[in-house]
Amino acid sequence: MSAVVMNWIVALPELVLAVCGMAILLLGVAQKRENPLLASMLSIGALVLAGVLVVSGSRGQGYEGQLISDAFSTFLAVLILVGAALAIMLSLEYNQLQRIYRFEFPVLIVFAAVGMMVMVKATNLMSLYLGLELQSLAIYVLAAFARDDLRSAEAGLKYFVLGCLASGLLLYGISLVYGFSGSMDFARLSRAFATPASVSAGLVVGMVFVLAGLAFKVSVVPFHMWTPDVYEGAPTPVTTFIATAPKVAAMGLLLRTMIVPFGHLLAQWQQLVVLVSIASMVLGALGAIGQVNIKRLMAYSAIGHMGYALIGLAAGTEAGVRGVLIYLLVYMVMSAGAFAVILAMRRRGMAVEAIADLAGLSSTDPALALLMTIFMFSLAGIPPLSGFFGKFYVFLAAVQAGQWTLAIIGVLTSVVGAYYYIRIVKVMYFDEPAARFDVRHPAISIAGGATALFTVLFLAIAGPFISAADLAAKALFG
Amino acid sequence: MIAAAAFYVFSAIMLAAATMVVTARNPVHSVLFLILAFFNAAALFLLAGAEFLAMILVIVYVGAVAVLFLFVVMMLDINFVQFREGFQRYAPIGATVGAVLLIELTMVLTGWRFLPEAPQWRSAPIPANISNTAALAEQLYTHNILLFQLAGLLLLVAMIGAIVLTLRERRMPRRQIIRVQLEREVRDTLEILQVPIFAGTDEIGIRMRKAISEDRGEAAHEGAESPMLAASHAQSETEGH
Amino acid sequence: MAAFFQTPLGELVRIVLQTLAILVPLLLAVAYATWAERKVLAAIQLRKGPNVVGAFGLLQPFADALKMLMKETIIPAGANRVLFLLAPIVSLTLALMAWAVVPVNDGWAVANINVGILYLFAISSLGVYGIIIAGWASNSKYAFLGALRSAAQMVSYEVAIGFVIVTVLLCAGSLNLNDIVLAQKHIWFCVPLLPMFVIFFISGLAETNRSPFDLPEGESEIVAGFFVEYSALAFALFFLGEYANMLLMSAMTTILFLGGWLPPLNIAPFTWLPGPLWFILKLFACLFVFFWARATFPRYRYDQLMRLGWKVFLPASLGWLVLTAAVLLATGWAPHGA
Repeated sequence: MSAVVMNWIVALPELVLAVCGMAILLLGVAQKRENPLLASMLSIGALVLAGVLVVSGSRGQGYEGQLISDAFSTFLAVLILVGAALAIMLSLEYNQLQRIYRFEFPVLIVFAAVGMMVMVKATNLMSLYLGLELQSLAIYVLAAFARDDLRSAEAGLKYFVLGCLASGLLLYGISLVYGFSGSMDFARLSRAFATPASVSAGLVVGMVFVLAGLAFKVSVVPFHMWTPDVYEGAPTPVTTFIATAPKVAAMGLLLRTMIVPFGHLLAQWQQLVVLVSIASMVLGALGAIGQVNIKRLMAYSAIGHMGYALIGLAAGTEAGVRGVLIYLLVYMVMSAGAFAVILAMRRRGMAVEAIADLAGLSSTDPALALLMTIFMFSLAGIPPLSGFFGKFYVFLAAVQAGQWTLAIIGVLTSVVGAYYYIRIVKVMYFDEPAARFDVRHPAISIAGGATALFTVLFLAIAGPFISAADLAAKALFG
Repeated sequence: MIAAAAFYVFSAIMLAAATMVVTARNPVHSVLFLILAFFNAAALFLLAGAEFLAMILVIVYVGAVAVLFLFVVMMLDINFVQFREGFQRYAPIGATVGAVLLIELTMVLTGWRFLPEAPQWRSAPIPANISNTAALAEQLYTHNILLFQLAGLLLLVAMIGAIVLTLRERRMPRRQIIRVQLEREVRDTLEILQVPIFAGTDEIGIRMRKAISEDRGEAAHEGAESPMLAASHAQSETEGH
Repeated sequence: MAAFFQTPLGELVRIVLQTLAILVPLLLAVAYATWAERKVLAAIQLRKGPNVVGAFGLLQPFADALKMLMKETIIPAGANRVLFLLAPIVSLTLALMAWAVVPVNDGWAVANINVGILYLFAISSLGVYGIIIAGWASNSKYAFLGALRSAAQMVSYEVAIGFVIVTVLLCAGSLNLNDIVLAQKHIWFCVPLLPMFVIFFISGLAETNRSPFDLPEGESEIVAGFFVEYSALAFALFFLGEYANMLLMSAMTTILFLGGWLPPLNIAPFTWLPGPLWFILKLFACLFVFFWARATFPRYRYDQLMRLGWKVFLPASLGWLVLTAAVLLATGWAPHGA
């Protein structure tokens, strides 16, 4: 019971971010003429401020053991904040052209970021749930943000209904765990499960429900059904957001929940995670092949990539967790970059989303084609690019933990997956040129360029990131 | 003894009402049974000595949430016969899933074993010298302040969402701006004219028909020719943009 | 005798007697409230009001009641019979139930419960059901419109009332009505909390669907609103319910802001009157303002009503609540109640 301290400073970044969000909201409401640019800029400023506080903030347990700030949460929180800021930046032009340019957009992203930061810091099933809901609710609204567009409304509704189902499963699992163990505190649960004799069937069922609820949020098989529709229907900046920060947060939450309170039940959940991981990798590789819409393709790609990331969790070791963290970092950056390119796909002010629209991009816009090529090769996991290292570390961890099947299936599905990534490159370089795209907004060029640089140069700059991931993984097991 | 009897009576009514919520043909009746269930739940709280929770349950759920429920259900125009058709078609699937879940759960329950620490961890006894309302407040605002605030933030996001997704700025023909109304003075709207006997409106320079037609159309920008027009002009300026 | 009241049977008898002791005067007061309203309105409009039945028309309420009893209760063909008849019963019962916790003197309440104010608030928030059920069960457009109006209106104003009550609780440090009155020994809450007093009273007008917020009735636009289909005894129950609710609102105002049974000043001429009499005097003063408002103000338009509730009262009461809490905390005046 060392944790009975308030230590509210632990949540300082979240508090500051939430207060900033409310201030921006008030400002937006009070403004006579709506000026979303100001709100967006202020939101990015707030995210940066929160980032500074996260990095420099104090570590330790707080709120009577409901929240923790450690290397693990810091690593993920920075990723989340970067993802959120990128999403706001990339939304500027799109929202203006699609007539959904409203100040609530960045505000909702800021609140979602608060939720996600709570998620990665949560050390209690209740704070876990509230953080998750805060994030989800904001994203449901964002997915339906283009409310006059039928597809967007459908995406929002679908995401909401299925998300509620997942929340229901999660809550049911939590209630079972609480009922049988009498506690929702991670530390207590962990200590209680240390003696195998005390683990009853009810607890395991509860844990499985929790796992299922969280699996929905990271969109892995068999809880992936919403992903393609939501990715396709939601406004593209929102899809960018969904594909980056929330994935990081949900995966981080999954890691902490499985490793800390349920760590001693490894034998019980390992097989499940292995199954889910294999199913996701296979579905991600096969499902994407027939797609003609690039957003749907990215959705299947996301399912597959989350499957790869889960390999590290299935290993259940410190190296595995480190692998997942590196994977998340790499995946977030390259998928944000890929979406930046997708956002640049517009002709005469209208967004186009078909893969065929990329035809001959190398002759009409060589720079954009080069960016897309980098991201596609990286997503496929071709060596000098960052995507390769993500896969390398999780496969390595799996092999070290003796999960040979998982590693082999991972490599095989990577080969299958490479087909559809390289197909896009082929379309861009070898097909008859289609009409040229509109002039790009500088925000897209900056974001695309920066993420591409990171992806290409990861080999050179990987050191500090890997050591940070190392520290983070140690914090989880420490 | 009386308390035990009351407990069983309230529980029985609550369960019956809850069953009726699901089975009632008329959705309005369902909501009314839901309210009955809420009442009995409140009574059970009272029996358990949690009078504050009981009252809050009635105020929040019966007094506000269920009213809005009723409001919506009464306004809905749903063909419930159609609903039932789908229900019958999918009932076998639903029943199968439900049965599987039930069997699994019974299997879980047969392995019913609590952690040894569970009872002690679960219970949060009320400190002897304060009322249960104060104890509840301490739990909410002191020990779980983070969760409380997060829940508040969640509601804020829900509110923003509802507004973002549904509020549309309508161009209302007459929008009331209280400040403009209050600042209006008599001389802005009314002019007293000395009208000669037998003089028509044309003679004294008021063109009534024009004023009326202008009033219906867009704001008259060619300047106020008559008091009526001036009034209509002032009106259109209050409409906001 | 005292020993008898200790036995279970005796306790039952005692409770029944207590209930009668509050219900009989209450129903009498309700009957005469209708008479008083007509007299007050008449006086304001330079008329005489009821003056034929009995001296000063004093027997008028009974004549009216008799008339209502003799008439035929008509149930419309398309109505939902059970709910149609349930609605007026709910309406009056709720208005009477609330009186169980009202203290008319120190400790003089049928049930002196811990959370009395919450009980009152809960009961008053249930009043909407009588109206909404009546409107729906009548199966008539006007009735339904009235019901919808009143549902939205009452829920809106409850929010403001809730915040006002919380402010009073902050100052009194107890949820018990008796303690709330005793906390006003030195100064009635209507003085330091004057804006909240005003908000409470106006919200009370809206909560009881009284003029100028009588849109659910709106006889000039939706005929008689939710009770357009009602006749005879069922109508009489609604009628009684409305006046009982007014009395209840007046009683709540008296308890929360006007010091309940306490005299204005704790010195000789004022202390000669017994507590219950003070309570009744204050209650009637509030009631008079209800009548006065009806005679004076035109009916609000619906959007104005909503605007007042959500855009004026809600922020104002919330702001005052925060201010009160801040002042109490800063000055250390906050009561450390149970």
